[in-house]
Amino acid sequence: MSPTPKRDLMSNPSSSPNTRRRFVNWLLGTSAGGLVAAVIYPVTRYLLPPEVTESATASVTLPFTVNDVPVNSGKIFKFGSLPGILVHTPQGEFRAFSASCTHLACIVQYREDLSHIWCACHNGHFDLNGRNIIGPPPKPLEAFTVRVSGEQIIVSRGA
Amino acid sequence: MKVITLTGLATAALFLGMGPGAPTAARAQDAPNYCVSCHGALTVERLAAPVARFAQDVHAAKGFGCVACHGGDPSLAGFTGMDPAKGFVGKPAGPQLLQVCGRCHSDAGFMRRYNPALRVDQVAEYRSSVHGQRLTLYRDTLVATCTSCHPAHAIRPASDPQSSVHPLNVARTCSVCHADSTHMAGYRIPTNQLERYEQSVHWVALSERGDQSAPTCNDCHGNHGAAPPGVDWVGNVCGQCHSVMADYFAASPHSAVFTRLGVPGCALCHGNHQIQTASDTLLGVGEGSVCSRCHVEGEGGGIVAAAMRVRVDSLRAAHGVADSLLQRAERAGMEVSQARFDLSGAQTALVQAQAAVHAFSLDSVAQHADEGLQIAAAAAERGHEALGELRFRRIGLTVSTGLILLLIIGVILKIRQIEA
Repeated sequence: MSPTPKRDLMSNPSSSPNTRRRFVNWLLGTSAGGLVAAVIYPVTRYLLPPEVTESATASVTLPFTVNDVPVNSGKIFKFGSLPGILVHTPQGEFRAFSASCTHLACIVQYREDLSHIWCACHNGHFDLNGRNIIGPPPKPLEAFTVRVSGEQIIVSRGA
Repeated sequence: MKVITLTGLATAALFLGMGPGAPTAARAQDAPNYCVSCHGALTVERLAAPVARFAQDVHAAKGFGCVACHGGDPSLAGFTGMDPAKGFVGKPAGPQLLQVCGRCHSDAGFMRRYNPALRVDQVAEYRSSVHGQRLTLYRDTLVATCTSCHPAHAIRPASDPQSSVHPLNVARTCSVCHADSTHMAGYRIPTNQLERYEQSVHWVALSERGDQSAPTCNDCHGNHGAAPPGVDWVGNVCGQCHSVMADYFAASPHSAVFTRLGVPGCALCHGNHQIQTASDTLLGVGEGSVCSRCHVEGEGGGIVAAAMRVRVDSLRAAHGVADSLLQRAERAGMEVSQARFDLSGAQTALVQAQAAVHAFSLDSVAQHADEGLQIAAAAAERGHEALGELRFRRIGLTVSTGLILLLIIGVILKIRQIEA
């Protein structure tokens, strides 16, 4: 009935009531701290702007229709904040690529006389698959996927 | 006399009449090959090594054997097979190499059977090179011949990364002779080309960025026709890749003056082997500029150089400011994608203005720089607007949050008052 037998049974000095109370307090304090951190951290991250910009645009519907891009011509469009180029090939296909030259990021254009994509800055040429074929560009243009729905053109990144 | 005549005829037949030895080599594979069995068993490394090395050679892969280059009869052992009467030529060297290699490699009809795309003018080009001229005119046997660059018995196609003439290995191959000061002592040319080239932007592009269109030795000097670019056509060499700058330069007043003075166009400002990324500091009359080597501040050319530098610097700075503003606005969640899209035009204008510097005319640079400055100014204005709007929203949020907090405190106080 008295607490004495209990103390006898639990003879380990580290298990005294004071020690257990401190342990329970520490546990509660840590849990409360964790809870506060779990609330504050996402709020802080939400309020502070990220170090890098958000992921790039995945898909855009072009502000012009198929009729605005005759065969063997090209047109620059806005893909997120970056320039893209839509090419209507002499074979009648629509293809789209990033319009930033892979050399020094100049905006490329379509050369109707050559049926090539061309960068005027350093005379870089890309074929209609976006491959760098002449001049200093070190790698191909990023290719986008083009889907034509009626007269609308939808360009997206990836398959 | 009769023996000599027969020997001469056999040798002539090997080099001229018989033509390439591919069919002979193919048949020889079925017969005993004493070249391989004897040389493979020799203990003299110099004589035995070719047997093992040749297994990896492109000619072995196409069915050619020793006899294709060395002549003789591999079906006969010992010196019987190595009889000059049977066309044996031993180890060809010097001008004889041109005949041995050129026998197949200058024959378009023959080469078409193995590699239709391979050129067949290597020997003709070689004869026009500094190496070929010294070999044929001065009998200088220290100069490079076919096997100096294409090591005998271990020849691989240029597309093979292990080949001595793969783009990544060409500089090292040339430097075997050209970096050897003892070997080059008699020619009075520097031997630090490799050391300098390996510090150049071209080598970085080739070796680190994997851009195999970046030039190595043969792209500027030629390969079989290797020679230093002449003063009046160095621009054509650089212009193979840097065509826009070459066109500007060719139409500029500097082109004719440089030719008249006998100084190399591009190399005068950019150097040759140790070419670095061209920065704007080369332009103008300040420290580090190349214009100031000839022009002084305040004089005609110096004024134009300084003015071009001001335009380029202004555009670069304006682009940087606009880009920074738009990035801050974008990171804060503001919609500025149209302005960032428009700013791409300023980057294009900056690169075009830098290229136009090679016209050495302020009008050419200003045409692009002014266009870029307008674009950058419009983008910067949009960035300021976006950041202003952001500030307005934040102030509004702070004020409204404060009001809400005050209201909550007021409500709590009121409840306590009622409870009391």
